[in-house]
Amino acid sequence: MMFASIDELDSALTGASYLADRGLATALYLSLELEKPLLLEGEAGVGKTEAAKAIAASLEAPLIRLQCYEGLDIAHAVYEWNYARQLLHIRAAQSGTVDEGELFAREFLIRRPVLEALESEERVVLLIDEIDRADEEFEAFLLEVLSDFQVTVPELGTIAARQRPYVILTSNRTRELHDALKRRCLYHWIDHPSVEREIQIVELRVPGVPERLAEEAARFAAELRSLDLQKPPGLAETIDWVRALSALGRQELDVENVEATLGMLLKYHEDLLAIRDETLAGLVAAARG
Amino acid sequence: MAEPSTAAQPAPTPQHAVVRHVVFFGRVLREGGLEVGPRRIADALRGLDAIDLGRQEDVYWTLRQTLVSRREDLETFDSAFHAWFLRVSVDAGLRPAGPPPPAVVRRKGGTPGPGPEVDGGEIELGAWSGNELLRTRDFAAMTAEEFARARVLIRQIAVGRPRRRTHRLRPDRRGSVIDVRGLVRASLATGGDPVVRAYRSRAHAPRKLVLILDISGSMEAYARALLLYLHAARGSGRGVETFAFGTRLTRLTTELGTRSADAALAAASRRVVDWSGGTRIGDSLKAYNDEWGRRALTRGAVVVVVSDGCDRGDPTLVETEMARLARQAFAVVWVNPLKGHPGYEPLTGGMRAASPHIDRLVSGHDLASLEALGTVLDGIERRHTA
Repeated sequence: MMFASIDELDSALTGASYLADRGLATALYLSLELEKPLLLEGEAGVGKTEAAKAIAASLEAPLIRLQCYEGLDIAHAVYEWNYARQLLHIRAAQSGTVDEGELFAREFLIRRPVLEALESEERVVLLIDEIDRADEEFEAFLLEVLSDFQVTVPELGTIAARQRPYVILTSNRTRELHDALKRRCLYHWIDHPSVEREIQIVELRVPGVPERLAEEAARFAAELRSLDLQKPPGLAETIDWVRALSALGRQELDVENVEATLGMLLKYHEDLLAIRDETLAGLVAAARG
Repeated sequence: MAEPSTAAQPAPTPQHAVVRHVVFFGRVLREGGLEVGPRRIADALRGLDAIDLGRQEDVYWTLRQTLVSRREDLETFDSAFHAWFLRVSVDAGLRPAGPPPPAVVRRKGGTPGPGPEVDGGEIELGAWSGNELLRTRDFAAMTAEEFARARVLIRQIAVGRPRRRTHRLRPDRRGSVIDVRGLVRASLATGGDPVVRAYRSRAHAPRKLVLILDISGSMEAYARALLLYLHAARGSGRGVETFAFGTRLTRLTTELGTRSADAALAAASRRVVDWSGGTRIGDSLKAYNDEWGRRALTRGAVVVVVSDGCDRGDPTLVETEMARLARQAFAVVWVNPLKGHPGYEPLTGGMRAASPHIDRLVSGHDLASLEALGTVLDGIERRHTA
């Protein structure tokens, strides 16, 4: 399924409970149109991973996710040989000799996310999450996948994609990515949403939330972001927080409740110490307008 | 692939105008310091082909997403876009780095200017004893000729790097993890019996290294030598980040990435706007922690702060920010050229505030002490929790 225009894609995303701003909608649209991988960067909790899930849902395409971590290698990202089966196969061959071609055949191949995405019969969305956590060696390997949509298995040769997957990469910028990798991608920086947008998102993601609570919570989060904190709350934190307050039956913010639940928004001890007493009361008053 | 224009069309069409605009815009961006290659231009044109050109917002996003690949460049892009496509005058506050201002690198005293350079190749083999003397000569007291020789040596010194064990596995006969892939292959010959065993073990890789150099007025006599050290360290491999600060923090990793020391120093001095001015250590460390520490650059890294600790700002801010830095870093090393002077006591406000959070304090006023810094970095251990 493809989209005829950015607007069409935008409404499909809304249908998947994801409110994208125009910039992100354009980025996703271009990525589909130009068949280029999209690199999403932004502060933690602005909805990078969610965007990939939402586009997969709107395309009605399966999402294959590769979570990156330090030490991630080809055996965990692309393919691995099924060694146990291979050993058994050698044993089982009574005649005595097994040649290599027989042993390194596709039936002994275990498909990991990248190969799975390339070999899939239908188009999939391949999410390469937090690429900045993987080693630079792995990044270099990805170049082949991202520019030619193929991987090379030494024993089998080159495996090209049956259907080009839609690739979305996310990065929290814990380190700078290689220019070579970036050159192969479209780039979009996701900012914190505006207050109005955040209210809409909260209302969409927390069904039945009191209107007043959603408004005040979004304004409170925006106030926190304007302060000088070590880790300002992301959109994901606001949503969790409102969900909790809503479950507690709150209709609006008050100092006592905010104080008791502030740990859901601020994850650093120093930040919690900075937002107390008068500061907190002032922020709550400002959010209540 | 949709090509936006065909070469055979003689009359100027809207398509042609778009191509010309985008190509020229790419040139504007390049002048602003962005890397805009032909591939990006082609992407931008294909992108514009796919959207409705009547919506200015969409045009903006399309160009931005195809032509920019770093957050640092967004501001430059925005002002260029406004200036070029919207034809409004560029707001002074938003002005891009653009054509850099003429380089102003002031030096005095012992640190020579870019004037007469003595070619490093002219050092004779017999000059070793001369180098011995040079090793312990204070950078501030060096003559131009001595400094020219010293800079060759600096390059050889800056190779000490802290190391760490990686999670990646490499083949290693004395390793402890069985290499099943190798084992299966070897078993082919023996009918499935794993006779020959292959092992793997975790490899070692250089640890991240962050160097933050004070280039304020009080450091002037040392700044050039230490900047050369930063350049050499940057060239020692991956994972080295370099910054300079006086009253504000400037990242120099890209500028110092140039192989030639002279070109790198020239690029760095164009980039830094506050040479030999005042010092605000606390604010600069805060800027570092906010922008780079939050992105986890500090985590697991050895951070080296090079400063004499003379600070005009608030010492409590230095204390707070050093504490933040030390909590995230693997270890913190402070290099203070003043420490090389006899009878030095950490009396300056900034230095006193910082000391509780420093793992190692070294001097860095001459070649010998920079060598010692290399040794310290080579064998540094995780910071002790107080």
